[in-house]
Amino acid sequence: MDIEIIGDDTYGNEAYVKLFDDIMSDLNKAVLIDRVQLTLEPATPLFIFSIVLRAAPSAKTIGDVSTVRTDVGGVHITITQERYAPDILKELWARYGRKAVYQQTRFDLDVTGAKEEDVNPIVVASGEDDRREIMGAIWRTMPEGIKNRKTLISDNVITVIATEEVLLPEMIERGRQVHKAMGGSDDV
Amino acid sequence: MFEVMMYDGGVYRSEELYELIEDVGGVVLQKNRSSQMLTVIMSVPEEDREAIEKVCNDIGGVVKSVPLAGTEIAVVGPTLGRHHMPHPICDIAEELRRYGAVTVVMGMARGRGKATSQISMTERLTLDEYDGVIFMMGNFKSCVETKAELMRDIHAPTVLVSGPVPEGIEGTCDAIVTGVGRKAARMRTPPERAKLEEIADTMEAVLKEKKRSLEEDPLFVHPAEVKTVLEEYEPINMCLRPSPMVLHLDGIRIKIPYRDHREYLENVEIYGRKLGEIADISPSKIDDSSILIRIKTRSQVEDEDRRRASA
Repeated sequence: MDIEIIGDDTYGNEAYVKLFDDIMSDLNKAVLIDRVQLTLEPATPLFIFSIVLRAAPSAKTIGDVSTVRTDVGGVHITITQERYAPDILKELWARYGRKAVYQQTRFDLDVTGAKEEDVNPIVVASGEDDRREIMGAIWRTMPEGIKNRKTLISDNVITVIATEEVLLPEMIERGRQVHKAMGGSDDV
Repeated sequence: MFEVMMYDGGVYRSEELYELIEDVGGVVLQKNRSSQMLTVIMSVPEEDREAIEKVCNDIGGVVKSVPLAGTEIAVVGPTLGRHHMPHPICDIAEELRRYGAVTVVMGMARGRGKATSQISMTERLTLDEYDGVIFMMGNFKSCVETKAELMRDIHAPTVLVSGPVPEGIEGTCDAIVTGVGRKAARMRTPPERAKLEEIADTMEAVLKEKKRSLEEDPLFVHPAEVKTVLEEYEPINMCLRPSPMVLHLDGIRIKIPYRDHREYLENVEIYGRKLGEIADISPSKIDDSSILIRIKTRSQVEDEDRRRASA
């Protein structure tokens, strides 16, 4: 993750590189981020955080986050990404009922009466959830008092413009320029 | 001058230590016994330190320095939100506890933001109840300089901890420690531990001034003596709150309701005087469930006695 800082507060700039890195790593989002540009103007105050994700967040299916194979009377699922385990269970319970889903271990499930081709495409997390989580992480890195925010999203670029009181049109315009410079589209 | 130190050792022959503390005119501030181990925080005259150390060593224990023992210090952040908690506020509080202080972590109701941060009168009066206050601020110079105003009318000794070196904030606090701003990880590297020690040392130096001014016009009784007398009072003895009695430099905080116990406390006798005559007893600003006792100075008591006699 490359972090570029624009601002004139020497101490704040340096501290924010570490802070941003620590928070994103804590929330397991650092691996998703390719490039970051942080504009820090505490005197105004205006903060523009723009990030480029390695890939645009997309929906995750059971097939993406686990291995599914046909077994006697149904399918056997081995969960490979633990964070989706509750969502997988929720979807299977909703579709096949609790009695049909037998959880052998934390990661191994038997689903009676299910077919491999039906289970694989079940969506367990939409790309929207990922985006929301990343935006939550960005808001956490921003100073707490900077409450007025506007978020620009296009494909894999997310830009958050934030200030403390009134978000002026020129602030939004600056945010749009940063968003475009980072590879985002013009029409957000 | 009295010095506070801690005995850390076994209970075996600890009576000898208690006797010596009494002989030299010192007081036991806090006593913790766990199985056969014992820690005693005591306040003894400076000139008798050597004798106390000798007895501690003779009975198989060690003497540790706890320069902030007998104080209650508030560590204040702009809010208690996840942006400011737990690091570094809790790291600072932990370090102060290592120095012997009782600590309280607080967040202001409207402390966030550069232009919109505020401190209420209730918050100021609450902070005034403590022996010292540490204000934790952030990474941006302009924000720290603006928010320094929040500390202006706090009468308790105040230390500002911030990332950058602020300018033009004279008169708002008693000392500044820089190099610690907003953090998302625990302060555990050697330079960070050194910073925490610097904060605790700064607080100690600030409180030394307060102690010195108390020595010029000493308190009528030492707070520890009031504590000893009140220890046997059943509601305090049975109180389940942590540290039901907390020593301050000029008094004591008791964690029982003011309304129910005011009368008893005012009439407790210490050295032939009623506590109500030699101390101001008031409810804490936090709520009614704590009582604040501020012991008057000798000159204050004498002055009041004279006025009463001439009336």
